[in-house]
Amino acid sequence: MAPYLSMGEAHRRIADYLSRVADSISSSDGAALASLLAVSSAPPSTPLSDALSAFPDFPRLAADRYPHLSDLLPTLLRAIHSHSLIRFADAYSSFEKAANAFLQEFRNWETPWAMEAMHTVALEIRLLAEKADRELATSGKNPDKLQAAGSFLMKVFGALAVKGPKRIGALYVTCQLFKIYFRLGTVHLCRSVIRSIETARNFDFEDFPVKDKVTYMYYTGRLEVFNENFLVADQKLTYALMHCNPQYEANLRRILKFLVPVKLSIGVLPRITLLERYNLLEYADVVTSLKRGDLRLLRQALERHEDQFLKSGVYLVLEKLELQVYQRLVKKIHIIQRQKEPAKAHQIKLEVVVKALKWLEIDMDVDEVECIMACLIYKNLIKGYFAHKSKVLVLSKQDPFPKLNGKPV
Amino acid sequence: MAAQGGEAAAGSYAKPAVGTCMEQPIAYPYQPSASDHHLWSSSTGASWNYSMDNSNQNMVYYDPQRDVTVLGSAENVTSSAPHVVQSATGATNATDSYAPYSNTVQPGYSAAQYPNYYYNYPQTANESSVQQGVDQSSGAAYQPLSSFQNSGSYVGPTNNTYYNAGDHQTAPGYATSNHYYQNNAWTGGSSGDNRTQSYQSYTPADTNTAQSSSSLPSVPANSFHYHQQYNQWSYYYDQSAPSSGVPAPAVAVSGASDIKAANIGSGYVCPSTQPPPPGTTPWKSDAGAPTAPPRHAPGTPVFQNQHANQAAGPPGYQNQYVNTVPGTPVQNQYANQAVGVPGYQNQYANQAPTYQSATTYYSQLPLSNQADQQKASHWQGPSSNVSSINHVSGSSQPTLQGSTTSDGYRLNKIQIPTNPRIAPSLPIAMPKVEKRNSEADLSQKPAYVSVAMQKNDVKTAQDGHEAVTQGSIPVSLRTYVGRNVSRCKDDAQRSAVQSILKEIITKATADGILHTKNWDIEPLVPLPENVESTNMTSSAKDLSPFSFSTSRRSPGRRVKSRWEPVAEEKVANKVEVTSKESAKSNTFSSFDTTKRAGNSWDLGKFLQSRQTPLSQYNQRPSKQQRIGGNASLTENGNASNDSDKEQDLTKYYANAITLANSPEEKKRREHRSKRFERSQGAASSKSRSSAPDKDKKSNIYTRRSMSALLNRSNGDGLSFAVEDLDWDALTVKGTCQEIEKRYLRLTSAPDPATVRPEDVLQKALHMVEASQKNYLYKCDQLKSIRQDLTVQRIQNELTVKVYETHARLALQAGDLPEFNQCQSQLKRLYAEGIKGCHFEFSAYSLLCVMLHSNNKRDLLSSMASLSKDAKQDGTIKHALAVHSAVSSGNYVLFFKLYKTAPGLNSCLMDLYVERMRFEAIKCISKSYRLTLPVSYVAQVLGFMGIDEACEDKRADGLEECEEWLKAHGAVITVDNNNGELQIDTKVTSTSLYMPEPDNAVSHGDASLAVDDFWARTS
Repeated sequence: MAPYLSMGEAHRRIADYLSRVADSISSSDGAALASLLAVSSAPPSTPLSDALSAFPDFPRLAADRYPHLSDLLPTLLRAIHSHSLIRFADAYSSFEKAANAFLQEFRNWETPWAMEAMHTVALEIRLLAEKADRELATSGKNPDKLQAAGSFLMKVFGALAVKGPKRIGALYVTCQLFKIYFRLGTVHLCRSVIRSIETARNFDFEDFPVKDKVTYMYYTGRLEVFNENFLVADQKLTYALMHCNPQYEANLRRILKFLVPVKLSIGVLPRITLLERYNLLEYADVVTSLKRGDLRLLRQALERHEDQFLKSGVYLVLEKLELQVYQRLVKKIHIIQRQKEPAKAHQIKLEVVVKALKWLEIDMDVDEVECIMACLIYKNLIKGYFAHKSKVLVLSKQDPFPKLNGKPV
Repeated sequence: MAAQGGEAAAGSYAKPAVGTCMEQPIAYPYQPSASDHHLWSSSTGASWNYSMDNSNQNMVYYDPQRDVTVLGSAENVTSSAPHVVQSATGATNATDSYAPYSNTVQPGYSAAQYPNYYYNYPQTANESSVQQGVDQSSGAAYQPLSSFQNSGSYVGPTNNTYYNAGDHQTAPGYATSNHYYQNNAWTGGSSGDNRTQSYQSYTPADTNTAQSSSSLPSVPANSFHYHQQYNQWSYYYDQSAPSSGVPAPAVAVSGASDIKAANIGSGYVCPSTQPPPPGTTPWKSDAGAPTAPPRHAPGTPVFQNQHANQAAGPPGYQNQYVNTVPGTPVQNQYANQAVGVPGYQNQYANQAPTYQSATTYYSQLPLSNQADQQKASHWQGPSSNVSSINHVSGSSQPTLQGSTTSDGYRLNKIQIPTNPRIAPSLPIAMPKVEKRNSEADLSQKPAYVSVAMQKNDVKTAQDGHEAVTQGSIPVSLRTYVGRNVSRCKDDAQRSAVQSILKEIITKATADGILHTKNWDIEPLVPLPENVESTNMTSSAKDLSPFSFSTSRRSPGRRVKSRWEPVAEEKVANKVEVTSKESAKSNTFSSFDTTKRAGNSWDLGKFLQSRQTPLSQYNQRPSKQQRIGGNASLTENGNASNDSDKEQDLTKYYANAITLANSPEEKKRREHRSKRFERSQGAASSKSRSSAPDKDKKSNIYTRRSMSALLNRSNGDGLSFAVEDLDWDALTVKGTCQEIEKRYLRLTSAPDPATVRPEDVLQKALHMVEASQKNYLYKCDQLKSIRQDLTVQRIQNELTVKVYETHARLALQAGDLPEFNQCQSQLKRLYAEGIKGCHFEFSAYSLLCVMLHSNNKRDLLSSMASLSKDAKQDGTIKHALAVHSAVSSGNYVLFFKLYKTAPGLNSCLMDLYVERMRFEAIKCISKSYRLTLPVSYVAQVLGFMGIDEACEDKRADGLEECEEWLKAHGAVITVDNNNGELQIDTKVTSTSLYMPEPDNAVSHGDASLAVDDFWARTS
């Protein structure tokens, strides 16, 4: 963009940037500082990065001019420079140093004026680490930067999780940590953060900013999905959904992606329009199968989207819907029987169920179907009992197919 | 003779003995020196650290000289010197402690002092001499073979027995003890035995009683006994028995002289001190040499005091010490021995404090030694040494499996240029020693040693330099030389190779790359003639214990086999070389007993000058030493000064010993030593003919621990960070040819001699696969295979196969922890693209996660990681079907799958069956009403085969099912109509319970219960 830059101009630009940083710090202007610290969002070539390329001695300039910020500024400039050169690993390393220096300063500031800047640092370090890891992975090196970013953010969390006004910013860092841990697949590390958020006296959850609360609820809800605590998961994800800014459809979709299976598992079916609106049509067949009692459709849907479901972690949840599909099937048989033969409607012969399954091209022998019926009774999806000798499923006359009503199977 | 040697191990022993006999008469004057050499070798060998070497060396040198010059008194002096060393060494390394012992041994052997003794040997009975030779040889042979640990441990018990015998019994007892000790001395570490021998002979009845008392307490301290070795020793005893008669008279004579040893000793010492001035000066600079002169004068008494002080320090040993104090110097030695044993234990413990004490002592002692040395050299002349060495080498060579001999060999070569002296002595030894070309070399070496000593006396500065260069010869270089020489077939070749090597080494020294050069990878010097370059490899193969007896059939072969150990050692050295510490070469010195003799002196100096770079442990003490040494300097021979010094010493001593002997420390040591004992016990369960092999094995253990210790101790001082280590260079290349090997968890760097190369491991795997023995045996074998693979960093299809085999066996035995270990390794190996039964084990992994870990995320990720191909695999399909059966609670499907499980899926499902059945019966009792026939339950819950028509089996399954149902609280009634058993589901639904597992164990994993384990696997 700027093929040639005079040394004087480069010097001027760098000095300008430095003075803005220093000014924002001295005037406690958090927003200005935050914008100056955003490294990763910058395009490859900015006036500043060009100046840095033309004036290679910038670290000394920064250190000389602002000796009290000599830990922060040179490394920050180096990070910006490396980032503009697409050397993300180097940029990350420099930025981590700068971030450490900044954290040191931040600890000493009494008021949380720089919270916004701190959050920017937390976000930037994660984004830079992700870029650096991609770069390292492609060059065959060990991508460990995101992990390092995680440990840095834990330090930040430690600096924020204290009494005083700074604690408000802790949830943001927590959410950044969640993002890192989920990406790294080390979700077990979330537990300690969650514990300190949920048990510490100095946190009142409602005090946190809404956006952080939504993010937090989203991630903790996801964790509960893994643990198959569907009720808690439902609660958290619903909270996230209700508080999420309705304009952020992508975020809504993210939440729904987990909330739908959770709701399905507790017997709440979404409207197809909802799925359509948020582009969650992979669940459409699942929902249809639940409505129809079509086991084959469920299995097909699971198979078709297996990779997707496995990746997001809802596969096992959806797999468990099978029993509900069986229940629906038996219910349908019961309804048909009642129309045909009202007197014997509550007695369903096993062979009828087997026949229905055969029709669905599900190959199960009598024993297996009997077992499934026993399971349905055992899991309270059917009220009644099974008579082994006569191979008949005897339904209760009152509410033979109880609704889950928010209770998981 | 040749024929004898050719036969078997025993035969080889005998042969050297004969050779020695022949020599003895001729070399009479030299014989004493021979003993000295032994001492040297042993001491040097024993000294693992350089610092240790200093003391040891000094001691050694002095001792021999003293013996020669001072006669009876010399003994005392020597004894005192060894005392110091012992305590110090004992604290540091077991071997070190032994080294001092070896010193004392010298006096005993030194014929010069007690001409009677020696003369008696040859004259009175050739047998005895022969036996002596035998013993020596055997000892030598054992040296390399037996581990130092063993010898150390043995010393304790053996001493006791011997002493008792000596006290109450008669000469024969002594004789045996002597023999035994000799053996030990030869072995290097156990040199203490020799000393005892000498003592016995010197100190007649008086000391003996005291000794016995003192020695007895030592037994408990030594608690670890190596039974097998014991047996071996007994074997030796038998041999020695006849000779015992001869030594007895000698003992009496010597004893008399001993009694007044202290006084005499001091008197003698004085003359010796005089010469030192020139020699001592350099020493002073090195390590508080000034102390030496004063030391000499007080001689024994000083040392005794020290010992007494020591006694006060460590409670455990107090008894011993107490005994010692009243008694003669000899007694002190005994006490030392006792101490030595713990010291030996220390090796393992590797205690810093002990190190300190050791160093302190060194600084002070060496001085006196120097004085003696000078004297000795003047008096006796180096020639004696030469002859003695020859003797040693002669005896040792045949039996030695190589390490000793080869070492000596190497040394000789290196030193050859400097050895003018050898010439005279050589003729004597040469003709008699049949077939031993190397012997000449060996003899050269001793000669060289003597020369070096003289030099030291005269021109200390120069010597110092020489010493440095010589003493610092890296192990790798030595092995390199040894390798080269060992390829030579005859003398002509050897000399040619030697000259070439000499050039190489000089050049390397000049270039300053002597230490930095990687001699292990240096190409061998081309042989002047066509020599089969394969010698090395063949010899390496011979190493295998089994081949031991057979490999020596032909004389030509035997020559080769003699060098066998070279290969072994080479590898060992390699491992060590990585640490780049020349000092480390000492580790192996134990094996190189003979070799070291030459260097030891030089080494000592070298060490002193280099103390700083050494380990922290050494460092600190050395500083203190210096202070003490200066103080003593001013005192110059005054008794009062000595007492001051003593105080200092005692302080250090006490500290060190208390630390070293703290109960926990002792316990730990004992524990560890027991572990070694066990492993040895296993090894020695073979027939006696393989005794040498056993020793070798044990040796290996010692060596390993030694090297580890060195690594550790040196690591600190040299600021070698762990991450700086070149792990590639540390990778071992195994040489063991044994197919069967017990698993022993490594506690130190692996020894290549115990590690099997890949082809052997392949055989071992086949052996395990074909074995009919129980799982425990197979598991043990597979673990050892895995270990060997790991230490050699072999990661290929064989590795995968081993892990797969082990994983399958573990599954079959229900050993889930072991299976998980293998599984995790397999995952890694598969990820590296090594072929194997990947799908099969993915299926196992899936089952494992879904059935046993209950971690949804793990299950998800392992399911997500399955490729499309994998999902088509039968085993994986089955595993996924099992998963869906479990997740939907479809017990019928589960047990159907259980019966049709491919591979070992059923083994994993086995572990889930109980849970599944209980879940099923809960479900059944809740959802079925009225009754349910037991036969149906038995069928769906997998109590009988799916299509088993056989009535018997059906009945069995039914019965089993009934029992199981009853055990879980089901209520079973009999149908009134047809007498069929049925479950009353309504009652049952409230009465079901999960019974406490019968085989429940405190640690929660029933599969780990030993009884159950045996029951299932045997």
